[in-house]
Amino acid sequence: MDRTKKLVAVAGTAAVVAMLSACGGSNSSSGGSTNAGTGSPWILGTTDTVTALDPAGSYDLGSSTLEYNLYQTLVTVPPNSTKIVGDAAKSCTYNDPQTLTCTLNPGEKFSNGDPLTSSDVKYSFERAIQIQDANGAAIYLLGSITDTAKNGKVTLNKGAIETPNDTTVVFHLDHPDTTFQYVLTYPGAAAIVDEDVFPADKKLPDDQVIGSGPYKLDQYKAADQATLSLNPDYTGPNPGKTGQVFVKYYSDPTALALAAKNNEVDVAWRSLAPTDVANLKKDSGVTVATGKGSEIRYWVWNVAGQVGKQLAIRQAAAQVIDRNAIATKAYDGTVDPLYSIVPPGYGGQKDSYKNAYGSPDPAKAKQILQAAGISTPVNLTVGWTPTHYGPSTEDEANELQRQLEASGLFKVTLKSTEWDNYQTVYKQGAYDLFILGWFPDYPDADDYLSPFMVDGGFFQNGYKNAKVDKLVSKEQGSSSTATREKIFGQLQDIAAHDVPFIPSWVGQNTAVYGPGMSGVESTLDPSFIFRFWLVTKAG
Amino acid sequence: MTRAGSGSLPRYIFQRIVLVIPMIWVILTLVFFVLRVAPGDPVSAALGSKLNPQALAQARERLGFNRPLIAQYWDYLSSVAHLDFGTTFSDNQPVLRVVRDNGGATLSLTLAAFVIALAVGIPLGLVAGRYRDSVGDVAIRLFGIVSYAAPIFFVGFLLQLYVAPPLGLPTSGDASPITIFEVKPKTHILLIDVFLSGNGAAIQDVLKHLVLPAVTLGLLICGVFIRLVRVNMLMTMQADYVEAAEARGIRRRNVTWRHAFRNALVPVITVVGLQFALLLGGAVLTETTFNWPGLGQKLVLYINNRDYGAVQGIVTVFAIAVVLISLLVDIINALIDPRVRF
Repeated sequence: MDRTKKLVAVAGTAAVVAMLSACGGSNSSSGGSTNAGTGSPWILGTTDTVTALDPAGSYDLGSSTLEYNLYQTLVTVPPNSTKIVGDAAKSCTYNDPQTLTCTLNPGEKFSNGDPLTSSDVKYSFERAIQIQDANGAAIYLLGSITDTAKNGKVTLNKGAIETPNDTTVVFHLDHPDTTFQYVLTYPGAAAIVDEDVFPADKKLPDDQVIGSGPYKLDQYKAADQATLSLNPDYTGPNPGKTGQVFVKYYSDPTALALAAKNNEVDVAWRSLAPTDVANLKKDSGVTVATGKGSEIRYWVWNVAGQVGKQLAIRQAAAQVIDRNAIATKAYDGTVDPLYSIVPPGYGGQKDSYKNAYGSPDPAKAKQILQAAGISTPVNLTVGWTPTHYGPSTEDEANELQRQLEASGLFKVTLKSTEWDNYQTVYKQGAYDLFILGWFPDYPDADDYLSPFMVDGGFFQNGYKNAKVDKLVSKEQGSSSTATREKIFGQLQDIAAHDVPFIPSWVGQNTAVYGPGMSGVESTLDPSFIFRFWLVTKAG
Repeated sequence: MTRAGSGSLPRYIFQRIVLVIPMIWVILTLVFFVLRVAPGDPVSAALGSKLNPQALAQARERLGFNRPLIAQYWDYLSSVAHLDFGTTFSDNQPVLRVVRDNGGATLSLTLAAFVIALAVGIPLGLVAGRYRDSVGDVAIRLFGIVSYAAPIFFVGFLLQLYVAPPLGLPTSGDASPITIFEVKPKTHILLIDVFLSGNGAAIQDVLKHLVLPAVTLGLLICGVFIRLVRVNMLMTMQADYVEAAEARGIRRRNVTWRHAFRNALVPVITVVGLQFALLLGGAVLTETTFNWPGLGQKLVLYINNRDYGAVQGIVTVFAIAVVLISLLVDIINALIDPRVRF
């Protein structure tokens, strides 16, 4: 009994001490240390994941969200624009379609005080290509200055980057390519790193990275939290106002929605489930802001297959599909119908599918099939994947099946498999029609056309059109905006006629923010760059 | 004169340790082969669809996936024997570092849940056993069944929606961002580090974050303790020595708490190891529900990324932890109760 009493006494004392010490301070979440800056610290919550904070090892939105704020690129894209402007460089100008010259701003520095020179720029590209990380963007996006050997090894072309002086960088491209300037805006391929800090042949650990962007990284705990503060040495065009910004990582959209609802995060951005967005819109304690998006979903025909090779079948399905119903029924209106593979907002965008097919019309679809002598119903195997694109994909697949079968022209068999298997079997022709998604690498319509239409697309669906190849080559080699946009229109019209794929919807750029926040709307644009420097919290 | 020999404590401990080796081997083998028979190519799944075939082949070779299965299996066993649990494919982290960085949060949550489960389950079990078939007994039994059977994410969600707002409790994470930023990691277990920091506000913040996840997870197993303690309480209350004590005129209350209570607790220790395994499983769901930055949430993340290297490594560490804790519980049990040594 004595021993029990002693134990109880010790435990009780410990609990009291803990409670007393716990009650000794104020609520830590309400304050905290801040560096320079006028706004209060604020917290961004996201379900995006970070692959790497060293630009040489990342090619995903979760990583680039931090990278856009930590690093500079030579050029960048202002909010709600596709026009390229200077960042670390005053400007980048094409001398000719194969030569791009960039002039750095004088006095640029990294957050450790090291000067940023043309040598750092060259080093950044060289090391990204040298490291050749499978998760890095360099080996995919820098094709105009690299060569790929038969064994897959990518090397920088000899003399591709010249640095005649400390503030000048000249890129010599191996073919006329005006899209290269857009690649330079993407940190995964073109962020500038300090050659005295980043090793040449391997990635720097995430928590040690430094850049020359408006913010610097103070702390990074993978999949948990990143803490950023103002970069005191930043002299670029986008100075931040808030001394300290936290990024909280969530594994589940519902947990993020709850955190937003309870103001545990100040901004919730990417990705909330459609039903959560709908619920939060009814909550007076938060604001749901929406900007134009650039993430798309589309259905790809297996043009090499017995069913998909028949143009009339592809066109008839395009004639039947009701995108509005998909957007409202499967996504609660949180996405917009898409009538071209290029989403609205890009120069040269054209709603070619709307022009070609108008409103959904089963009667017209029937005529198309009858004219081609195709008996109905046409049996279609439609593929989708359950988790990779979110839970609403199943609703979209079911709605597509309902629409096609309601026309009386198609008999649909839905098949699904997880993403790792899906991306293998769709290339093997397992489905006549299958869903995929796309997120742009750079803000130019070319990024929605060349990867989809040249040589069967990256999804290898068997579509080939010599005219398309010629047009793409021409627009990539042209420095005339008018010429390029005219070609973009032609390519979209060809897609609507040949129907190698059927665009479905374009996502909105949605954020939910709490009281006192301002500037969130300013950064919600199709680029999906979350510009911390535009956002502030009062108080 | 010694008994058959099997009752010796050192011998018992030795036998249990020896048994651990085949147990771990079976688990490692299962983990390895189950992941290998899962459909899809783990390399292309983890490294994305953008890799060209040549780069994919290089990655497969680098990760050893082009080798015969039996050679991969042998490499895996050899690595684990050298405490090398591999590297994650998707973010190239040593698994042991992932365990170090996230295991502390899981441990804190699991132990707090254990404390809650014991603090709630044992008294309720005793009361239910003591007042058999009363309204209280029925209510407690019902509570035990419901808490055990209710899906953990559902309980968590209810607490997040209806308990967190009025009490001002956080619904996600193990601490506020500023606490995580300010508390320097010394042990990599935030609950300990925050006490070591002596920062009162941070301690309060961490404890507040711990409440809902620990209650959710604790409820999962408190039903088991309620039932176990209740049944043992009933049995001991009917035991001869209790009747004898009562016959000697010792007050019923003293008999209950001094004799029956202590004996009813012995089997609880026996199931602690088993419940710990259940808790680790429950931690995966709880961590996801409350965005708790532990190993369970990390595991789900890696499963979603199809990072089989990470999944294999973390599950292996989990399995070994459960086996070792079971061993520890067996030894403690043998120390307390000599009968189990036979």
